[in-house]
Amino acid sequence: MKRISLASRLALLFAGCTAVVSLLAGVLFNHASEAHFIELDQQLLDGKLIALRSTLQGADTPERFALRETTLREELNRQPDLALRITAGDQRWFDGAPGITLPQAPGLHSVQNAGTDYRVYNVPLVPGNADSPQLTLMLDITHHQHFLQRMQHLIWLTVGLSALATALLGAWAARSGLRPLRRMSEVASGVSAHSLTQRLPQEQMPVELAELAQSFNAMLGRLDDAFQRLSAFSADIAHELRTPLSNLLTQTQVILTQPRALEDYREALHSNLEELQWMAQLVNDMLYLAKADHGLLAPKRETLVLANEVDALLEFFAPLAEDVQVRLIREGGANTSGDRSMLRRAISNLLDNALRFTPPGGDVSVRIVEGMHGVTLSVENTGEGIPEALLPRLFDRFYRADPARHEGSSEHAGLGLAITQSIVRAHGGRIFCESGAGWTRFVMELPRGY
Amino acid sequence: MKLLIVEDQPKTGHYLRQGLAEAGFNTELVADGTTGQHLALTGDYDLLILDVMLPGRDGWQILQAVRNAGLDMPVLFLTARDAVEDRVHGLELGADDYLVKPFAFSELLARVRSLLRRGSSPPQETSLQLADLRMDLIRRRVERDGQRIDLTAKEFSLLELLLRRQGEVLPKSLIASQVWDMNFDSDTNIIEVAIRRLRLKVDDNFPNKLIHTVRGMGYVLEERFS
Repeated sequence: MKRISLASRLALLFAGCTAVVSLLAGVLFNHASEAHFIELDQQLLDGKLIALRSTLQGADTPERFALRETTLREELNRQPDLALRITAGDQRWFDGAPGITLPQAPGLHSVQNAGTDYRVYNVPLVPGNADSPQLTLMLDITHHQHFLQRMQHLIWLTVGLSALATALLGAWAARSGLRPLRRMSEVASGVSAHSLTQRLPQEQMPVELAELAQSFNAMLGRLDDAFQRLSAFSADIAHELRTPLSNLLTQTQVILTQPRALEDYREALHSNLEELQWMAQLVNDMLYLAKADHGLLAPKRETLVLANEVDALLEFFAPLAEDVQVRLIREGGANTSGDRSMLRRAISNLLDNALRFTPPGGDVSVRIVEGMHGVTLSVENTGEGIPEALLPRLFDRFYRADPARHEGSSEHAGLGLAITQSIVRAHGGRIFCESGAGWTRFVMELPRGY
Repeated sequence: MKLLIVEDQPKTGHYLRQGLAEAGFNTELVADGTTGQHLALTGDYDLLILDVMLPGRDGWQILQAVRNAGLDMPVLFLTARDAVEDRVHGLELGADDYLVKPFAFSELLARVRSLLRRGSSPPQETSLQLADLRMDLIRRRVERDGQRIDLTAKEFSLLELLLRRQGEVLPKSLIASQVWDMNFDSDTNIIEVAIRRLRLKVDDNFPNKLIHTVRGMGYVLEERFS
């Protein structure tokens, strides 16, 4: 089936409605006029009946009627639209309209004969006496019927014209009413990677479309955000690789410009190796994140005693913690199911991060709490808090709270927390960071059902 | 020890062969899968190093042919792709280990040695020794030049690993995995710190240093004469 445009659909509906409404009105009016005419005729006939009855008073036999016939004819001659027939039993005493068959029943009737319409009124000559001679009055009402016919024509014309007019007006109204939709589609078709900043003017939208416009704008916002992150990510990768690459290039070229002692070559190669290892680590981390982005991290489901896992990690981190004089504490415990080496990696990144920002003499404590819906593992460290505004950005790739930190290339690349987040998400959980005066806490929520 | 490398990238293959040859292995290199499979089936190798993507026959097919022929030498896969299904596929076919490019040569060497050692049951030593450093595995005591050295449990494990694999450069990842059972990429400097602390106890008071850092590769326990 061919699809009808919204505007035409509305226009047709309008036209249909108008036609139905005007037709109804016309039919009602027609009925009312007809009833009105009947009423008028009745009154007219009643008036004439009174006059006739007084003329024919006492004429209850043919002989007496004959005495009055002349007066009757004179009176009837004065009224050209009226004809009279007088019947008594089978006898017809008087007939002003010979040859026409008329209804016999008492009361008012409509009769058509040879292109002329009549109102026929049957009454007894003596009121209330059905046995007295029967008067049949015939009133010519052709002009009434003509009027009614003209009116019916007028009604059909009105129906047709008003339907047509509303169809046209409706089409125009629908088109202008749908203008915000067209505006919306113009914006939508104008969206590309370069113009993700364009938005629909929400306050100018009609109420019905405001919600749609809002969702549309929100979608654009999300796209814009994702796109920004993506392009920032590429830029960050290039930036991260630039420093070690330029070190490698410079150093190798400088070393090769003139003959050197064997030890110098060895030193240069070692130094190159460090840069290369850092780059390899970066690439591996990025591949890991790319896998996570594509939903390819498939955690195994082993039953893990989290207290044991955390203790093993704390033992691993013990030399480092002692070195920087930080106490490592574990509180609580719970079982969960998940991938041992992935979760160890996730927690290890949190511990590593915490140790980095804890001043000597401080504490890093891991708390495991079993809740209604799963297990919460938090890693809290003492030390300067993180400003509220920075909290959501902590898990961004390459984000570093301290921008000066990454110049020494052996430092980590700022992907640790992003990797932790990916791992937690792959386990169906979530992670967030809270911070206050003198403390920072990373909270990892792992659902029970995983 | 006879090794076969099937790797189609010339530079990678060349350096792998050179590195492994210098580590004391009798190494052969082929660049295509068909020749690789032929040699693997007929050459009586102790270990195969296979790239997954190869011209001719790919690494999986070679592995399958080798296992179908009833050969059970260890097989180590090198791959540029790190898809889970790849790993599962490889392990199902009977691969023994799996390295994803980019990898460090020291890591490869350590894994090759682990794989070759796996077959032979380790001798039941009661003590390990290097120069004047002695480790009593039964009483869990360490002495150097007759002096008792007190080590924590993990320090003891670390030194035991270094002693058992003396002369081998052990990458940090292998140490983390063997001593602490931490099997993930980690960019922390924990191993560095742990080695420093071990050194403090084992080497600092003696003129003849035994624990050495090989920059960018790992750590090695050996006697060096300057």
